[in-house]
Amino acid sequence: MLSPSTGATPNAVAPARRDGWLVSRLGADSALVPWLYLAPTLILLALFTYWPLLQTAYLSLVDWNMNPSQPTQFVGADNYGRVFGSTLFQTALLNTVIYIGASIPLKVLLPIPVAVFLWSLGTRGHFYRAILFLPTLISFVVVGVAFLWILNPIFGYAKQFFALAGYRLPNLLADPDAAIWVIIGISTWKVLGFNMLIYLAGLASINREYIEAMRMDGAGDLTIFRRLIWPLLTPTLMFVMISTIIFTMQQVFTPIDLMTEGGPSNSTTNLFYMIYQYSFVTFDVGGGAAGTMMLFALLMILALLQIRLFDRRAHYKQ
Amino acid sequence: MQLSRPLQVVGHLVLLIICLSILAPMLIVVSTAIKLPNEVYALSLWPDVPTLQNFAHLFEQTAFGRYTWNTAGTTALRVAGQLALGVLAAYAFARFTFRFRDAIFALVIGAMMIPQVLTMLPNYILMAQLGWFDTWWALVVPNLATPIAIFLLRQHMMSFPSELIDAAQMDGAGHWTTLWRVIVPNLGPALSALTIIIFIDSWNEYFWPLLVTESENSRTIQIGLREFLQDDQDDYGALMAGIIFASVPAIAVFLFFQRRVMDTFVSSGLKG
Repeated sequence: MLSPSTGATPNAVAPARRDGWLVSRLGADSALVPWLYLAPTLILLALFTYWPLLQTAYLSLVDWNMNPSQPTQFVGADNYGRVFGSTLFQTALLNTVIYIGASIPLKVLLPIPVAVFLWSLGTRGHFYRAILFLPTLISFVVVGVAFLWILNPIFGYAKQFFALAGYRLPNLLADPDAAIWVIIGISTWKVLGFNMLIYLAGLASINREYIEAMRMDGAGDLTIFRRLIWPLLTPTLMFVMISTIIFTMQQVFTPIDLMTEGGPSNSTTNLFYMIYQYSFVTFDVGGGAAGTMMLFALLMILALLQIRLFDRRAHYKQ
Repeated sequence: MQLSRPLQVVGHLVLLIICLSILAPMLIVVSTAIKLPNEVYALSLWPDVPTLQNFAHLFEQTAFGRYTWNTAGTTALRVAGQLALGVLAAYAFARFTFRFRDAIFALVIGAMMIPQVLTMLPNYILMAQLGWFDTWWALVVPNLATPIAIFLLRQHMMSFPSELIDAAQMDGAGHWTTLWRVIVPNLGPALSALTIIIFIDSWNEYFWPLLVTESENSRTIQIGLREFLQDDQDDYGALMAGIIFASVPAIAVFLFFQRRVMDTFVSSGLKG
């Protein structure tokens, strides 16, 4: 512990600073000190994030099958043209758009009215909240395995349940038109409650006195929602929107890999999964890297959009 | 706020339906896990003869014990390492002014925007070159730098009362002592929140372990579940036992620290 200051000798010679030996050799005020604290993090980020990004840019220009004894051949921008022109890329891009398009009403808009209701319950809604949060804790592997069992085409609960109601449930995961909706449904199951809780956090900052005031002036529920809650909730909505889009592009990798492996006939593959297929299924390193760079460009555009939207949010607050 | 009566009824109804659709799959999983093989395909949710045999079967049939050890061990190392490196980096950003500080900070935070998929090819090759493939090293070391931890800890350190730090330094404490003896002991809530996030994130990780684990040496529970799914498609009793086993730690943490876990996830915006 620190030496307790002995009030009697406040101006005594300051005790020697106890630093690590390295710092004491450099001198405690050396300009190098902060860099020592940062070094582990910076080295790791350089080694495992930024340098690999540059390497990927290089790999996107070569032809290689990941076999160390095989020479890499420089092919320039050929990989980009090849990937861009492939039906796999076009399907994956289209599917990514479908994933995102379906996610906005299901995961971004649907939770709003429910969250507003939950908010109106106050502390009485705590039980609901705990249940809504559960899917966030469970890994996507667990969710995927559970739904594979429920949707099992012969014995699954869904099958038997529909049979009781006199309806024959087809094998959804084997149907190229339906499989993507199964994945969308499962990812909604996973994230719906979480988004609701984010909205709740946004709602919590709204002063309830405004609502009482509007109520006294004779405003109905709908007017209060449209004129007060909606505008104040817009920044939260933007945040939920962007994070859900990123989640939908990235995290559905797991259910795709576990449940369909991109099939049937590439109907569930998205851009992330396509890169994985190029890199680790067909070992086409150049194609995988070219796909990665294209996805990187897309993500950067999204990030810029996010920054602009958050800027606007800052103005809004003032 | 007081909603009108019909809206309240509709609201409760919608919430109940959502909660039921969240709970129903969990109920089905639990019920299948405690059924004997002859009952697994029956529709009833409560088996005639409840059993724990599936859990025993899971550990006999697969190397699940070993997977659990790998997951728990690498997760513990990651929590400790990520927190330690996060504290060090956050201290540098919060308490020093030095050249390029803001640019470096932007680079650190910017790394959050780069998903693992974008760097997987060179990292995979690097693991092979280092001889780390299928070892704990590959699971732990590439994950040790944690921008979100640095960001949150820096926030907390900047709002830390500077009088306390000045007092410590007047008493002769250097940066190192100040950091670990004065600041860190007061970061309790932030550190425990981060511990929960990193723990659940690491326990549930799928993508990177999928690439770099190959055998019992390093395979984690999540990847073990995938293998089990592909090898014994039809042993649903044991599979359900496996996914319950894989989910218990995170749910237990939640039950103990309900409020804190929820607040942590919501305020960091991390989707599990």
